[in-house]
Amino acid sequence: MKTVSLAATASSDSASKAARIRKRYLSRSGRCALFLLLTIALLSIAAPLVTSHSPQIVSGPSLASPSLAHPLGTDELGVDLWAQLVFGGRISLIVGIATAILAGIGGGIIGIIAGYRGGLTDRLIMRLIDILLVLPDLPVMIVLAAFFGPSVVTFFVVLSAFSWVTTARIVRSRVLVLRERGYIKMAESYGAGTFYLLHRHFLPEIFPLATVGMIRLAGRAIVAEAGLSFLGLGDPTSRSWGLIMHHALSFNGIYYTDFWKWWLLSPWLALTLTVTALAILGRDLEKIADPRMEKRQC
Amino acid sequence: MQHIVKNLSEYLLTFLVILTLNFVLPRVMPGDPFLFLSSDIGEEIARFTPAQEAAYRQQYGLHRPWPQQYGIYLLRLLRGDLGYSIYYNQEVMAILLARLPWTLLLVLSAVFLSTIFGTLLGSLSAAFRDRAPDRIIYPLMITMSEIPPFLLGLVLLFVLAASMHLFPLSGAMTHFARHENIWSTLTDIAHHATLPVLTLTLVRTGAMYLLARNAMTTVLTRDYIRTARAKGLGPARILARHSLRNAMIPVITRVFLSLGGLVGSAILVENVFAYPGLGRLMRESVMVHDYPMIQGIFLMVTLFVLLANGLADLAYRRLDPRIAEKRGGRS
Repeated sequence: MKTVSLAATASSDSASKAARIRKRYLSRSGRCALFLLLTIALLSIAAPLVTSHSPQIVSGPSLASPSLAHPLGTDELGVDLWAQLVFGGRISLIVGIATAILAGIGGGIIGIIAGYRGGLTDRLIMRLIDILLVLPDLPVMIVLAAFFGPSVVTFFVVLSAFSWVTTARIVRSRVLVLRERGYIKMAESYGAGTFYLLHRHFLPEIFPLATVGMIRLAGRAIVAEAGLSFLGLGDPTSRSWGLIMHHALSFNGIYYTDFWKWWLLSPWLALTLTVTALAILGRDLEKIADPRMEKRQC
Repeated sequence: MQHIVKNLSEYLLTFLVILTLNFVLPRVMPGDPFLFLSSDIGEEIARFTPAQEAAYRQQYGLHRPWPQQYGIYLLRLLRGDLGYSIYYNQEVMAILLARLPWTLLLVLSAVFLSTIFGTLLGSLSAAFRDRAPDRIIYPLMITMSEIPPFLLGLVLLFVLAASMHLFPLSGAMTHFARHENIWSTLTDIAHHATLPVLTLTLVRTGAMYLLARNAMTTVLTRDYIRTARAKGLGPARILARHSLRNAMIPVITRVFLSLGGLVGSAILVENVFAYPGLGRLMRESVMVHDYPMIQGIFLMVTLFVLLANGLADLAYRRLDPRIAEKRGGRS
């Protein structure tokens, strides 16, 4: 009896607490997403530990069904699919993180410059952003992949060149608002230098926004890489999830046999889970970083 | 008037950037078209003598300085001449025009259907805000809108077509089939288009839904809705005449914008279903290094996206007179 009432008070207590601090902590779905992402990241990083097979060397009969030796079976050459899956996660991870960091930091710096300097610099940057926003990114990436040859490095440089835009826009509009704030005007009038202002007043305000933007960028980059690899235009030396699907679909009998249930479904599931988890996490963090978002959305 | 001119110049500038990109890329890329033309895939053995190569350079106008080449390139484009496809042995323009209708069919149907479903569900959600329908539809739509289109397409392909045999696996029409009348041709086309259109529709409905839901919620709090209710009008009439009309403004603007966005998704989805539109063509041309073809498709796709954006701008102004006044007054 006592335990029940204790549990009841505890739950009601935690509920009211949750309502009070909801804006500062992740929701339940957000925590699930984070857990999922960490699991996927951990599995990819520890790839050599979770599988004894190589993702490139033949290690069994071709087109084997899932078994103890090969948890997800093998592909048409006899390469273990579970090994391909966990090693492929590394590519998504690298592409996502590298693009997010490059585009996030670049976009953040450009956004601050545009918002803080204003004038001609701002106008030029905004025009460039307008142009890049209108350009459809997938066709451009296909064309570039066609002309420069597919490689992970080309890919993420191109993708970063395209995706700094969104971060830059958000940061710029934030800087424009901040610049008019009383305490910043005050600091300026006391003779605060540009770097002092940036370091002390702008960055702390902008950093959460930029970080949230980076999660979105990572998701987009992972999808874009998967899409290109799926078309067969990715880096052929890196077995990413998209490339596994490309190979599965290039196999003639894929539609008429059961192989797709492990060959195609596993990279599909990995990708879908990663992308949705990133989106959910991003949405959650957005609400925390910018409380107005919540009001607007709900 | 002023803002229209300003806008138009903005779009022209963007288009010029695209044209220039299209012109410069093949000229700065590593490798040489003559080397590629004269060799099999994977091999790079030059089969032309220097004299022959010079003759070809003359023929393609590649011996001229770059600025002159650029001028010639622009003039040709003005005449609708996109060059000659190396692989398909045909005018690029002719191939593009043959493939374009298939992509348009997919994209237009998907935009149409997703707008209708998105608006309906969004209105439903707004009307029952925070009650059962909204609580079910909202998270569902949010998740749906985040799944990449080609991944969704793959599920539909393998579940509905490969396992259950409800739909064909590939193509836009049955090969070698003879249709007695136009009706059977149309059903055949619709049957083949169902899955790609369904994929694109499902992906786009989420965005439309969110937009309609937000717009509808805002509109429902307005005074004129309260007035309408006070007058004793029924909920159906209020929805149709008072709220939906105003809530449609952002939705319709988005219709045009999503036309552009869907072209990108269609490129991937067409490849999932082996649908013979521009996206499929683009991948095929990349595989065989048919550069004039790739450039032609790229130009057409970007032009289409630009056009869709321009229309969205225009529709926004037309539908909401307040915007036109405000912008006109400011600039």
